[in-house]
Order: sequence, then structure tokens, then C-alpha cells
Amino acid sequence: MSLALDLALCALILGVALATVAGGGVFRAVIFFITYGLFLAIGWARLGAFDVALAEAAIGAGLTGVLLLAAHARLRRMQAGDAPPPAGLNLPAALAGAGMALALGWAWFALPVPATPDIASALPRSGVGNPVTAVLLNFRAWDTLLESIVLLAALLGVWILARDGDWNAPLGPRYHALSGGVLVNFGRFLPPIGLCFGVYLVWAGADYIGGAFQGGTVLAAVGLVALMANVVRPPRVSYALLRAAVVIGPAVFLLAGLLAAGFGAGFLTLPPALAKSVILVIEAALTISIAVTLALLVIGPPDDAGRSS
Amino acid sequence: MTVWLHIVALGLLASLGGALWRVWRGPSQADRMMAAQLVGTGGVGVLIVLAALQDWGLLVVALALALLAALAAVGFIKAQTPDGAGDPEETAPPSGWQNRRATGQADKRA
Repeated sequence: MSLALDLALCALILGVALATVAGGGVFRAVIFFITYGLFLAIGWARLGAFDVALAEAAIGAGLTGVLLLAAHARLRRMQAGDAPPPAGLNLPAALAGAGMALALGWAWFALPVPATPDIASALPRSGVGNPVTAVLLNFRAWDTLLESIVLLAALLGVWILARDGDWNAPLGPRYHALSGGVLVNFGRFLPPIGLCFGVYLVWAGADYIGGAFQGGTVLAAVGLVALMANVVRPPRVSYALLRAAVVIGPAVFLLAGLLAAGFGAGFLTLPPALAKSVILVIEAALTISIAVTLALLVIGPPDDAGRSS
Repeated sequence: MTVWLHIVALGLLASLGGALWRVWRGPSQADRMMAAQLVGTGGVGVLIVLAALQDWGLLVVALALALLAALAAVGFIKAQTPDGAGDPEETAPPSGWQNRRATGQADKRA
């Protein structure tokens, strides 16, 4: 019975993946990609990777959907979507994709099976009870630090796309909505619930399902709803508090690592006695940066074209 | 009990398959979007059943999906407005919404 469930789920995931890349219509592909994220979240849940399922549900169902739909609408406004897709198979791309898949498959079988590190016995020294959080913020903190800086670099990359004249305008397009309408009420109703849920995810992430990234994504998503419903005004690039919010996560993380090095424990090596409190401080700072950065990545660079035209 | 839960989960997945058929067929963009919303709602159902089967902690994932699945619909109605940043209610108040069906054929090209 359990096998039938897994097979049905696999068939649905493969079917949605095929439907996304096959057939015409950018809009249909976008919608299939949104549902693909939902099915992947169920798949990860079925595999027991609850933290990944949570991240996939928050990113796949929430943020990428808004991003892709906005991109599709922008292409349509520019009449770029009217160009017919290239006929026939794009052979170089197909070959490159197939080659990459074959190389990865070869590497999977050719490489020696790594000795699984014993997380369970090391967990008490990490200061937290959730093995995923322990790996992300203690045992492999170096990776997470670099990832938080990559997120910052991505935001700068998006801001670079702003026109010179728009630089001091509020970020993103000029959202507007009928006051008292459905959208505005939704923008007032959802964020308080999302705020509680996001903060819960960060707090619970130390010992249970959740974490800074998942909580930050939920906060970004509800913040995005408030922005799109025009309940909250988008900030400007020059706003000092905004810049502080974007860098506080990597900054606190780096500072904690340097302090650990200063006390002789080694860069980013947390002493077990302090680990829990240090991880909570880093996670709180990271959550702020992740939430603000993800929301600003989705709304894009300052774009004043809508108001002037 | 476990067998029943598996059957319920399979039934929910089958209903999601029906929603996927609607995403494929359309014909209007709103049809595809509403089908995606149905997949979101059904996904919450599947996750709740999986929570009963595997671990109640999965309810957190179901809660996250329930909270955020509607976000794509907000992005969709934003994208439907001329400047991509508005609100369909601004141009067409809810009272006149039904009358738009006759004129709303233009969005069938998806």
C-alpha cells in the first residue's frame, strides 16, 4: 500500500516535470512549475526530510510563483512573449543537459561511498536538537556563512539593473490597489499570521522542524503580500535601516566566527557550552537578512517607469 | 487504519491529477491558476494525511503550504493588470464582475 502511494507520487512528479518542459505556452509552463514545487514538497515529506519539505513549500509555492508570474507579465507587456518558440529540438542544449546528467550519474557510481559522519553522537556538542540546524549552523557553518553572503550578492546584482534616474525611487514597481478591496484586506489579514508562524519556525528550528531559512522565507512571503497590496510602502535603497537589515545576518555570523577564533577555539568553532545561545543569536540575525533580501529580490530593482509614463 | 490512510492519500493524489489535467487543458489563464490553487489545497490535505501516517511534525509543512499557496494567486491578479502592479478591482468593481465574462475572452490565449 505504501509502495502504491510512493509510485503514484513519483508518477505525478515526473508527469508534472515533463508537462513543464513539453508543449507550448510560457504561462502553462509557469503554472506547472508552481505545482511542481508543491509535489516536490510532498515528495520530500514522504522521504522524511521535513526541513527540506518546509523550505520547498515556502520557496516553491510562495516566492518563485510570484517571481515567475511577474516575469511572464513583464514579457507580455514588452510583447516579447509573442515571438514563436524556436521550432524543433535545441540540439546543443539537449546534448549539454544529457551530458551533465550522464556525468553526474557516472560520478554517483564511480566515487567511493563516503563514510557517513555520526551526527547522532556529535549532536549533544552542537547545542541544538535538530540535526539539520546543527549541521547548518555549527558543523558546516562555513557553508551557511558563504550562502548568506551569496544572497547579499544576488540582491546587489538585482539592484545593479536599476536605471540611474530610478536609483532613489522606492524599490520595485509602484504597486497600487483598491482601498478596502479584497487584495488590501488580504494584505492586512495574512501578514500577522505569517509573522507569528515565521518567528515560531525560527525558534522551533533549534530543536524541531524549521530554521532561519524557512522562517525567513515565510516572513518574506507575507511581507511581499503586504507590499503588493500596498499596505506597506516599499523602502528606498538609500534607507539606512534597510541596508542594516540586509547585512546584519552575514555580519553577526562573521563576528561570531571571528570571536570564536579570538578565544582560541578556531574560526566558526562554537564552544559547546555557549553553542545554543550563539546559534540562536546568529539565526535571529540571519532571519532578518534572509526575509528582507528574499522579499526585495522578488520585487526587483527600483522601477519608476510605471509612474512617469 | 494505516491502510485507510494510504487509500485516502491515494485518493487525494488522484484528485490532484485531475487538477493537473485542468492546468494542461486550460483554456483560460484563470482556469490554469485556479487548478494550481486546487493543487495547493489538495497538497495540504495530502501532507495532513502523511502527518498521520509518518510524523505529526509534518503539520508544520502543511501549515506553511496553507499559508503561502494563495500567494501565487496574488501574483497572478497583479500580473493581469495593465501595468502589472495594480488590482483588477480598481478597473472593474465586484458588482460588475459577472459582466466581464462576455468581454473577458481575450485572455483565452494562454
